[in-house]
Amino acid sequence: MQGNTACAEGALAAGCRFYGGYPITPSTEIAEHMARKMPKIGGVFAQMEDELASIASVIGASWTGARAMTATSGPGFSLMMENIGYAVMTETPCVIVDVQRGGPSTGQPTRAAQGDMMQCRFGSHGDMSIIAVSPASVQEMYELTAKAFNLADRYRVPTFVMADEIIGHMRERIAVPDSVEVVPRRPLEKGTLPFAPGEDNVPGFPAFGHGYGVHVTGLTHDDRGYPSSTDPRVHERLVRRLVGKVEGANREIADYEVTNPDAEVVFISYGAPSRSVAQAIRDLDDERVGHLRLKVVWPFPDFALAAFKNARVFLVPELNLGQMVREAARHTAVPVVPISEIGGELHTPRRLITMAEGYL
Amino acid sequence: MNFQDWLRADRLPHIYCTGCGNGTVINCTLNAVNQMGWTPEETVFVSGIGCSSRAPGYIITDSLHTTHGRAIPFATGVKLARPDLHVVVFTGDGDLAAIGGNHFIHGCRRNIDLTVICMNNYIYGMTGGQGSPCTPLGAYSTTTPYGCDEAPFDLASLAVAAGANYVSRWTSYHVQELTRAVKAGLETPGFSLIEAVVQCPTGYGRRNKLREAQDMIAWMRDHAVLLKKWRRMDEEGVPHDPATFPVGEFVRRNLPAMGVPK
Amino acid sequence: MKLIIDETRCKGCNLCTLVCPYRIFQEGTAPNRRGIVVPTLDRPERCTNCRLQKLYGRVLCGVCQMICPDQAIRWVEEGPFEPQKVVIED
Repeated sequence: MQGNTACAEGALAAGCRFYGGYPITPSTEIAEHMARKMPKIGGVFAQMEDELASIASVIGASWTGARAMTATSGPGFSLMMENIGYAVMTETPCVIVDVQRGGPSTGQPTRAAQGDMMQCRFGSHGDMSIIAVSPASVQEMYELTAKAFNLADRYRVPTFVMADEIIGHMRERIAVPDSVEVVPRRPLEKGTLPFAPGEDNVPGFPAFGHGYGVHVTGLTHDDRGYPSSTDPRVHERLVRRLVGKVEGANREIADYEVTNPDAEVVFISYGAPSRSVAQAIRDLDDERVGHLRLKVVWPFPDFALAAFKNARVFLVPELNLGQMVREAARHTAVPVVPISEIGGELHTPRRLITMAEGYL
Repeated sequence: MNFQDWLRADRLPHIYCTGCGNGTVINCTLNAVNQMGWTPEETVFVSGIGCSSRAPGYIITDSLHTTHGRAIPFATGVKLARPDLHVVVFTGDGDLAAIGGNHFIHGCRRNIDLTVICMNNYIYGMTGGQGSPCTPLGAYSTTTPYGCDEAPFDLASLAVAAGANYVSRWTSYHVQELTRAVKAGLETPGFSLIEAVVQCPTGYGRRNKLREAQDMIAWMRDHAVLLKKWRRMDEEGVPHDPATFPVGEFVRRNLPAMGVPK
Repeated sequence: MKLIIDETRCKGCNLCTLVCPYRIFQEGTAPNRRGIVVPTLDRPERCTNCRLQKLYGRVLCGVCQMICPDQAIRWVEEGPFEPQKVVIED
């Protein structure tokens, strides 16, 4: 199965019933698969006029209670930024798949990159926190897309599947489970204010058409959902809650794999380069070289770095000129070294081995 | 139920300036919705950004106040996911014709079952009276201080050409006709555009010798020409006064539509 | 029924004075507590809606209510007749 197909299948298994999208290489296969499948299962496939409209329709559909998603790549992702901020502000669960390609601008439509990792985190204006997962295999395209829906619904935040062209177009044999875990959105209790924080800072969801009479606005709003855009206290309370509900649940959300926890030289990777690292670790067969593979990239699991007590250096291979490496460096006193690869080729395990050996 | 029962009484008075025509359009829309016999539970109001788009915040139904120009795609998502809900979009001339122009024509082309009410006040009101794509030639605004030198959009004709099933234009002076037009739009399956020309005494009138709301209402009364008469003048070759504009029902038809509940 | 202007909502645009066929609404002269000159009512009992709304079971004219941008005009039930005690000073 192809990575993009697995992504679409994972979404359908998780109960996604609305897809709004616009064709863009290398994510188009997701839209094509959804166009074939959605009408057969009573879902909606909408090909919109651009990416602005795609994400808008997804947010609109999500407010009716449906699980909704879109998929795109770099240029389309840039267009979506404003409405992603709207989804954060209005706490709209939705899943956005970004099959990353080389940028900036039109760049390399058919080659892989990981240049949007900071854009998904900070791309929209204002302070915010989001959740992002990064699959490293076709199997994970399926599993992590399904998981993304649960995370989005649980924390009421846009959740990103940050894939890349290599994973999206790769074909692998995968094991499709009979069913995937579906954690439904918690509905708003009648009689409570629609944007009042619960115990975990996540309000219940007042879906349209159920008599909640909720007013949803991108303006700074109070617990009733009414605009209150000039009161500094209302704004601070709201934005701190929106950021805090994600950052505060970092340990709950975190998902990563550790190889050789006592290692001295530790690779940190996510997405396609994880495959090169895994090969390098196998070839090296040395307990002094470890691997931290992130499945959930944002929020960044800072505590996972501290678990490598003997680490002398962290090596971060990425398909960009250094993005997550900065986030890693922010959380540790140990030197963090980028291993950049751009142009569309994956790091060779040979190159990673040479790098690691240089520090042993 | 009276149409005033649809308002969130705890949020009134609203933020509109004295004499703003948007409040009148809200009245007419709610009156039409009320006459349809719909309940607030099954009705959703969607809007973009601008003065017009503050309207859903004053209505007791579920409502989505979205980003600038994107009201129609948001509404498309709501409607496709829940075709049984009645979705009404409030928008303005800047929101619909400038930043949202592409979504507007594609909404018409898809003929999605929405009712779009465009409050055309000829300027950007929320930001203080800048020229919009609907500012008439020669009119003054903060960004056209020497008179607007761009030709304006004819929104109603644009919607007809793009494939909408129902299109009409009235003004906030013609409250009865406007109410009937909104009702006809709500009844028609497919995309309906009701362009309501409204007065903005603060942003537009003040700079165009129509300082008071009453002056603007009187100006709209005197310069709105019934579409029938307008077309007869065309046939007879009588030239139109450039300050006048046609009002009435531009089209009512039954092209294939999307999102209509089965 | 009784015609009233809700002073908490009215912003004093005077559009009602323009449209009423009976010229019941008159431009006000004195500002109220919020600094707004609310129109005054000249013999509102002449309004057809006041007299006939109940009888016909629908709003008859209502243009003032429709055009009022501030949703400040409405008809309310008149209170039942209550005998008042009048003290006549001598």
